Amino acid sequence: MTTGSTTVDPVAVRRAVEDVPDPELPPVTIGMLGMVHDLAVADDGTVRVELLPTFSGCPATEMIERDVVDAVREVDGVDAVVVRFRFDPPWTPDRIDATGRERLREFGIAPPGGAVPSPRPEGRPALPLLVTPSPAADADPRPCPYCGATDTVRDSDFGPTPCRDLRFCEQCQQPFEAFKTF
Amino acid sequence: MSSVLTGPDLALPDLHTPRAQVLLAVADDNLVTGHRSSHWTGVAPSLEEDLAFSTIAQDGISHADLWYRVLLQGAGFDGDLRAGVDALGLGRDADGYRHAVVCERPPRDFAFTLARHWVHVHVEAARLQALSGSNDAEVAALAIKLAHELRYHREHADHWFARLTGDDGARGRFADALAVVLPESFGLFEPAPGEHEAVADGVFPGGHPGLRPVWLESAAPVLVTAGLGDLVPADDAQAPAEAAGGRAGRHTADFTDDVWPEMTALYRADPGARW
Repeated sequence: MTTGSTTVDPVAVRRAVEDVPDPELPPVTIGMLGMVHDLAVADDGTVRVELLPTFSGCPATEMIERDVVDAVREVDGVDAVVVRFRFDPPWTPDRIDATGRERLREFGIAPPGGAVPSPRPEGRPALPLLVTPSPAADADPRPCPYCGATDTVRDSDFGPTPCRDLRFCEQCQQPFEAFKTF
Repeated sequence: MSSVLTGPDLALPDLHTPRAQVLLAVADDNLVTGHRSSHWTGVAPSLEEDLAFSTIAQDGISHADLWYRVLLQGAGFDGDLRAGVDALGLGRDADGYRHAVVCERPPRDFAFTLARHWVHVHVEAARLQALSGSNDAEVAALAIKLAHELRYHREHADHWFARLTGDDGARGRFADALAVVLPESFGLFEPAPGEHEAVADGVFPGGHPGLRPVWLESAAPVLVTAGLGDLVPADDAQAPAEAAGGRAGRHTADFTDDVWPEMTALYRADPGARW
């Protein structure tokens, strides 16, 4: 097949981009995460991909860029790939689709958007002194990804990666991670 | 400005423009504080704090990285972006850095680190709020994005502020640390060279001096409520002489003989190296 004269199928390009797995969470693709903002195929076979980075501190960003380039190059007729990250609109966790949320949960990471009541255990003080009002941990409760119980608490704002925090399930006594919201 | 060490065939844009100087100040505060935060990786008082400060360090350095990108892209730079960002972050002489002196201070103890963290994160929140109103679309978009992420840093800082001021044993040490940090923090409100032009042009609404009343209005009542009202800086407070001048490139040995040589050693040994 002659390159340059082949018509690039935009649907195939979109599928290739959206199927790129998150390097840190392989069951989840960047399509499920809602990171794909825009695609354009120029007449000369150049594909331009605009992605929304999740957390700006995510070291996987450069890997994702490389993986997207590699994936799109496999599509028939593609001559060159240009990936650009943009901040407008800002990515937020509500861009994660239903499949992505379920895959996260299966992976042991509580997805955002799990609004459930969460009792505040004895001995965990409220934070009375806040310079800037911000939602307390109990305003962002998550069911346990293992047993589904809703009496869980946030133990730490910072987990093993910039996008996750640390929780604990009072029911099954299992620590787990949750995808951050902001 | 002093020279910038680059890899071969890299032509950086003019860094003397008011826009570039302002964005260097924003980036450098985060870069240098980030390097200081990374001190706690492996030696923090608890595993949770180890993770917290490692993430805070990573976020600070990443945010600096993104501000350097926006600086370069808005200045028409069309070279290798990764190489350009590395040259800005790691290739400048020490007097080319525009961060406030308070950012370069060593972590000392955990009380000092948390006191600086509390001040820095709230000043940063005010700065991102101001930059969100920039008429430079790339600057505004990045500020809005980063302001979202700062929430976790603020909660962490406020949590520790409440814990340390509410504990008889910790309170004295934390107050001593705040007494050192608060006056030095006024270096954060110094304007970058030529900043008044960036303010007039709408790139940085209010500028660094404009952040001071905004921050003080929210921070002062918290200090008062915590019984630390005597630490509220006076309206005409200035940074002590040694902690002033960071935005003009005047740094202490804490930077020139400590952070700067350490963070730039590899780059200076092999300019343009990729990793």
